[in-house]
Amino acid sequence: MKKKMLSLLLASAMAFSLAACGSDGGSTGSDSADTGNSTAAGSTQSSADSGSAAQDFGSAKDVSMVFSWWGNQIRNERTQASLDLYSTQNPGVTFDTQPAEWSDYWTKLSTLAAGNSLPECIQMDYSYLMQYASSDLLADLTPYVESGVLDVSDVDPGILESGSIDGKVYAVCAGVNAPSLFYNKTLMDELNIEVKDNMTLEEFMDVCRQVYEKSGVKTDLPYSAGDNYLPFNLRSHDTTQLFNEDSLNVPDADSFVEYFSIYETATKEGWIVGADVHAELTANSVEQSPLVYFSSPATQSWCGFFWSNQLSAMVAAAPEGMEIGITTWPSDDPQKSNFLKPSSFFCVSRDAGENEEEAVKVLNFLLNSQEANEILLGERGVPASSVVAAGIAPLQDETAQAVTNYINNVVTPNCSPISPAIPDGANEVYDYCNQLVDKILYGEITAEDAAKELFEKGNEIMAR
Amino acid sequence: MKKKKQRTLRQKLNTERSAGILCTLPFTIGFLAFMIVPMCISLYYSFCDYNILTPPVFSGLKNFKRMIEDSVFYQTLFVTFKFAIISVPLRLVFALIVAMLLFKSTKMTGIYRAMYYLPSIIGGSVAVAILWKRLFSLDGLINKILMSLGMKESVAWLGDTRTAIWTLIILAVWQFGSSMLIFLSALKQIPTSLYEAARVDGANGWQQFWKITLKLLTPTIHFNLVMQMINGFLAFTQCLIITQGKPLNSTLFYTVYMYQQSFLFGSTGYGAALAWVMLALIAFITWILFATKKLWVYDGGL
Repeated sequence: MKKKMLSLLLASAMAFSLAACGSDGGSTGSDSADTGNSTAAGSTQSSADSGSAAQDFGSAKDVSMVFSWWGNQIRNERTQASLDLYSTQNPGVTFDTQPAEWSDYWTKLSTLAAGNSLPECIQMDYSYLMQYASSDLLADLTPYVESGVLDVSDVDPGILESGSIDGKVYAVCAGVNAPSLFYNKTLMDELNIEVKDNMTLEEFMDVCRQVYEKSGVKTDLPYSAGDNYLPFNLRSHDTTQLFNEDSLNVPDADSFVEYFSIYETATKEGWIVGADVHAELTANSVEQSPLVYFSSPATQSWCGFFWSNQLSAMVAAAPEGMEIGITTWPSDDPQKSNFLKPSSFFCVSRDAGENEEEAVKVLNFLLNSQEANEILLGERGVPASSVVAAGIAPLQDETAQAVTNYINNVVTPNCSPISPAIPDGANEVYDYCNQLVDKILYGEITAEDAAKELFEKGNEIMAR
Repeated sequence: MKKKKQRTLRQKLNTERSAGILCTLPFTIGFLAFMIVPMCISLYYSFCDYNILTPPVFSGLKNFKRMIEDSVFYQTLFVTFKFAIISVPLRLVFALIVAMLLFKSTKMTGIYRAMYYLPSIIGGSVAVAILWKRLFSLDGLINKILMSLGMKESVAWLGDTRTAIWTLIILAVWQFGSSMLIFLSALKQIPTSLYEAARVDGANGWQQFWKITLKLLTPTIHFNLVMQMINGFLAFTQCLIITQGKPLNSTLFYTVYMYQQSFLFGSTGYGAALAWVMLALIAFITWILFATKKLWVYDGGL
């Protein structure tokens, strides 16, 4: 009996120390994302503990918050610096910053959500906003907007609206973005081909053909990017939202034919960078875009479909002597297709608890502080606050100014509001769409059949 | 009873039973907390509508019904079976050949053994997966070598549905080290007297290998086969990093599809259901391997 009790005691002691180790790891690093439920639960415990400890022993204002975002090295450095600035201005507030890569970021965030231990401040993407907000994982910021803690007076109403669902503000825009076509300006000048803004599909395809004939350089149509380019195409035909709650919001398969036939035509005429080349590349990576990363004209593209805030990275990735231009994605009705999109948002999570108001203040700081934005320099896109945007413009380099110019003078006068955020299941539909594009590139299916399959399978996925 | 009470803590801990419990505790706790409990949770999830973000809702057999209609599910099963069934026997053959070569001791044997074992250690790593991707790319080493040998155009190994899976299979075969080591130690246990007797009877090398070596190795082959089959079905990293299932899902492994469903498409419940079906399949295959054991595995005395 005694022995049993002893071993039980030892066992519980050990379990306790193990759990303690686990929760330590959980609260300090990104590791916790991988270990799943049990430790995630442990880390909530510990963060709650440390929160109350701070209340007991420190001054009442001592707050430690986790700030998490995805991005690149430049973004990591600048965000860290701006948060450090906030800490100096607000003694007692410290940050545990947790940057991650895009794909890891969402795995990590969803696991943390399952463990009720989301970071206080999170960077949010438009494609996930709806899921997170409707799952009740984000704090409603409307009261703070009304009380003035979050000052949105300088933000364009349309941009503010994009972070709202059912009239409630959940997210603050971290920077304004627009779809943009990057192209090899040096090559186009050499070939004497004009690239103008607001090209129609036919004009764009003519340019592709000319480039291919004159130089053998191909065209990189959006690959593994149905989530971006399919809605862009549909918008020109007045379909602003592809998804209903449990079905596709298009009358029939014909709506998709134009989208797929672009790929079909390009494949038949031979001027598209094929799926065999893409099999070796990281999809949608700036550095591995065939625009700047190629070994021969057959793997080179004269253009790439990206977002305006990626221009700096693209210019940095371009070989020496290659000048990169920026223009709109082709569309038969640019005014309907084009839109301004928050490149990302900042949100406060439901798990922020008593730190909620402090977290909102941080968001307000990043949104409205001139000093903070002089550090961030619009890396996430043109600042949402028009005052701040004007304030930092002179400090930006040539590339960033080109982006601001593109946003302000090319897209803004000629665009429509952004489509509503996508619901659950939409990502799987887009993945299926990408597979169909693959099949077209391999010549296994016609555009009409692909459209039919997408229509059927898409409805089936949404109905689940 | 009275005597027992007087024992010090040290003495109590020193008994075989408590020492045993104590020493296995780290494993037991780890096993319970990180294997059994998560497994039970995932079993529950497999009967739920669950997207990670919202709490799971019990939905009965819905996930399993969905699986029956899911064509990608069959596709990934096919790909995974193809991968395991081709790569595992090839790997074992390779392991055996290299083990036979390294069996004869020379001064360099130790170094060779370490060298041949190396791929097993590093082969599953991300770095090697990326290296592999570069090797087989359009301007990669393989194409460069083939071009210098007179091939006219470079081949898109990773971009062709017929060849992409083979790059993964070759990578798997290359990691033959652990099986090789096991074969080596088994080879050493075969008594030389058998070979001497065979030579006296006039058996040539091939007959010796066929009648003695291979026959006495069958228990080891069986063991390796079981272990490697299980590993083969669970292959993940290579696919995720090198091909991501491309092109046209021709290299989409079951585990990667599971990951996609769980974390990318927000069907964590379905992902859990997929995991349990895989567990059942692996258990079934292992059972078959054991059931057929008596047909081909020699376990008689010498």
